[in-house]
Amino acid sequence: MSQEANADFSEEEKDILQEIMNIAFGNATADLAEVIDIYVMLSVPNIKAIAIGALPEYLRKTINEDVESSIVEQKFWGNFKGSGLLVFPSGSGKDILAFLDNKEVKDYNGDASATLEKSGLLEIGNILIGACVGKVSELLNTFVTYSPPQVIQNEKNEFNHLIEHFDPQQSAIVMKTIFTFKEKNINGFLLILTNHESIGWLRKALNDFMDSYE
Amino acid sequence: MINKILIVDDSPVARRMLKTCIPKDKGYEIFEASNGQDGIEKYKELNPDIVFMDLTMPVMDGYKATAKIKEIDKNAVIIVTTADIQPKSIASVMELGAFTLLKKPAKASSIQEAIAKVELKINTLQEK
Repeated sequence: MSQEANADFSEEEKDILQEIMNIAFGNATADLAEVIDIYVMLSVPNIKAIAIGALPEYLRKTINEDVESSIVEQKFWGNFKGSGLLVFPSGSGKDILAFLDNKEVKDYNGDASATLEKSGLLEIGNILIGACVGKVSELLNTFVTYSPPQVIQNEKNEFNHLIEHFDPQQSAIVMKTIFTFKEKNINGFLLILTNHESIGWLRKALNDFMDSYE
Repeated sequence: MINKILIVDDSPVARRMLKTCIPKDKGYEIFEASNGQDGIEKYKELNPDIVFMDLTMPVMDGYKATAKIKEIDKNAVIIVTTADIQPKSIASVMELGAFTLLKKPAKASSIQEAIAKVELKINTLQEK
């Protein structure tokens, strides 16, 4: 099965979405920088339309199937509906916690820190996903509600659970950026997945957004 | 007097949005470049009065392109237009000699205000 399902979006619509995601990811990192003293470098966002059935394989390849990952997932609902995924290499939790607390990694030991690590990941995930999805919603004149974020320790990098409620014949829009916490040498992905139900609305919203600049 | 404006951004949509914010009744010639490297080449070729520069771009980012253009012409007027509004990003581009930084998405009022400031600066320099 081909991973690409570009027929749903024109090149121009993809360009508009890419620019909106660029603005949204930039907004998210600025929000994070208000909370912690960190400089986040971002890649140019990548937009893909992917058949739902091919999504787990795409995520496995994107997230590097050989490396265990820690994933923060937060669902959002509204006209713009889907999931935000913040993906870190497994083991980054202590580093993240250390810079949230302004401490050294060696200050954290034992099982007690596992709960703290999880809360650190949730905090970062909540800020980045919330700010990013929130900015997209603002720019496209809609609003969303969020489920609480959850941490998925993904030892086998299996992603089938993400698509269990979707028709595998439908497609999803995947928006991805790679980010680096510069001083900490931590790399990760921020992915926003929006499902088939949102595509019609999204196309109209993108065109309305651009029309406001004509 | 401002004659030529160069927009450096990898996104054709961002370039289009910015173009719509630039006054049409002033007779500005507007040129476009799709990454930092392209921007440097167009700068050398066109010697524009204002460069609108994005930061996150493939091939060469806006930080490197800003530094390079300022090396070529220390009086170059570079207005950074970016979604990356982290304090450290803003400080970096201002250190490189950017004229100002404007947050994306482009807004006609802020673009026109920035152009007016450049116009004032150019006029003041010409009077001296």
